[in-house]
Amino acid sequence: MAQGVRDGIYDLLAARGVSRRDFVKYCGSVAALLGLSEMYAPQIVSAVEAGAKLKPTVWLDMGLCTGCTESLAQVDTPDVASIVLDLLSVNYMETIMAAAGTQAEEARTKTIADGGYVLVVEGAIMTGEGGNTLRIAGKTGLEILKEAAGKADAIICVGSCAVDGGWVNAAPNPAGGKGVLDVMPELKAKTINLPTCPVNPEWIVAMVVDVLLLGKLPAMDDKNRPTLIFGSTIHDNCPRRGHFENGEFVEAFGTEAEVKQWCLYKMGCKGPQTMTNCPSVRWNRRASWCVESGSPCIGCGHVYTNWVDASAPFLSRMTDVNLPGLGGVRPETVGTVVGAAAAAGLLVHGIASAATGRTSGPPMETEKAWDKKHKASKGGDN
Amino acid sequence: MSQHAHYRAAHPLIFVFTHYVNLISMIGLAFTGFFIHYPFFVWSMGLARSIHFMLMFILIINLTARIILSFWVKDALLLGSNVVDTDIKNWLPQKENKHQFLETVKYYLFLRKEHVISGKYGSLQKTAYLATIPITYAMAYTGFALYGPAQHWALAPFFNAGTAAVGGLMAMRMIHYFGMWIIIVFTMVHAYLANIHGIAPTKIMFAWVETKPEGH
Repeated sequence: MAQGVRDGIYDLLAARGVSRRDFVKYCGSVAALLGLSEMYAPQIVSAVEAGAKLKPTVWLDMGLCTGCTESLAQVDTPDVASIVLDLLSVNYMETIMAAAGTQAEEARTKTIADGGYVLVVEGAIMTGEGGNTLRIAGKTGLEILKEAAGKADAIICVGSCAVDGGWVNAAPNPAGGKGVLDVMPELKAKTINLPTCPVNPEWIVAMVVDVLLLGKLPAMDDKNRPTLIFGSTIHDNCPRRGHFENGEFVEAFGTEAEVKQWCLYKMGCKGPQTMTNCPSVRWNRRASWCVESGSPCIGCGHVYTNWVDASAPFLSRMTDVNLPGLGGVRPETVGTVVGAAAAAGLLVHGIASAATGRTSGPPMETEKAWDKKHKASKGGDN
Repeated sequence: MSQHAHYRAAHPLIFVFTHYVNLISMIGLAFTGFFIHYPFFVWSMGLARSIHFMLMFILIINLTARIILSFWVKDALLLGSNVVDTDIKNWLPQKENKHQFLETVKYYLFLRKEHVISGKYGSLQKTAYLATIPITYAMAYTGFALYGPAQHWALAPFFNAGTAAVGGLMAMRMIHYFGMWIIIVFTMVHAYLANIHGIAPTKIMFAWVETKPEGH
């Protein structure tokens, strides 16, 4: 590797007040995030050094709230993570690019024409009204995705909206928001899904190191989620797990139990059924995360069905059951009503049975009804 | 007609035992299951979960043993009879059951006056009892699937595939929850219909005390 490049990255680090020591330490934590031993830190260091040659990136903003961009851009102090992310030469990103209009669109078409870029998709692909629920520069979102996806080296879907439609896809979804792989399943081989709302920037760093620098796709599950990030439940790594096991629960906000940071299970925490590594990686430059800041997990990492529909109401243990004519009903209500109806039915049946004298033993048929009927119709002897 | 006879020949001691195991584990599973769903008093979640697991294994082993035993143990196929045959014959559909299912339903809906002719188990009863087998195994499967994400054991893919098929862990949790209500309603109806003509069935199944037909 050229000495110049190596110096280049350390100049970049020095300019941001990051020592080489801090940088190597950070690479150690990236190794941990990737499930590698710290032994791999030097390899990651050299990979990042080598990767200082910028990788062109196209960042598509589809049907979105820009929350994922916010999550990524909220850097109050320049840190090492932002330097790794700086390795992405974002040639096109509507939210932050200086260029506008034709000039901006040219940046996109040129990068796509050159090939060898990373495509990052944020937001849902809008399919409603023939795709016209999202038009950018005269084209539908789906057309832009199709143009950009073909020549991309890898596609990173950041946030639940790009993964499966997210909030935009929640019922009734009139605008037809869908995930990238929902509309283009043929991209499965080179797509990495990073659900949650918003995406955790640390995971993007890990993917940049893993894919772009170490040159391989991570191990992924059937929904294209990296298993190291989405392989265990929040509940299993939760710092409040001890309170759960002890039966110490917050039952209402504004109580002493909340101050004591007891378990939020009864407040509808979706931690037991949500598989992300939020408790260990945390958010906002590793400062805190939902449960640590006092909110139950709302299950934004859920895949297979829309996470909003599967997790709402957010402060309930289970989601509502949609019954025809009644709308959303609590599962506990459904169960209790069914149980009570059965008990009431049996009571009425018991009273009716007693009234008709059945309880002391009913008369027994001497011949099966079917036999009797069919013998008669065949002209049998009785 | 009066009360049916209930002889030990129809309910061998081993099945009285498996029935007890079923009842006790189901009550325990329902109680700890409700507690895990929403802890309604201060108790150890770990203990509730351990008891829930232990009872599940007992229930599943008991059910499996009960099914295997039905091919070996001989009992009476008719109430009030001492003539025995292999127990599985009580369960398999028989040609005599044909046309009796709807008649049985009609009887319980007061659409006919006379009780229907049947073997030890009526066709409605047979159907309901047989249905408990897949339901019980399904409860164990959905329970394992809910616990699956915490486990990295060899069978995890078998359960995770089910979770993916039903639409994730929330859907799986609700299936497990409503499955419990199905079992509760079954148990209520079962206890009621078994004893509607007197408590002789309870006497034989719990105390193994026979009831002879009147006049004997």
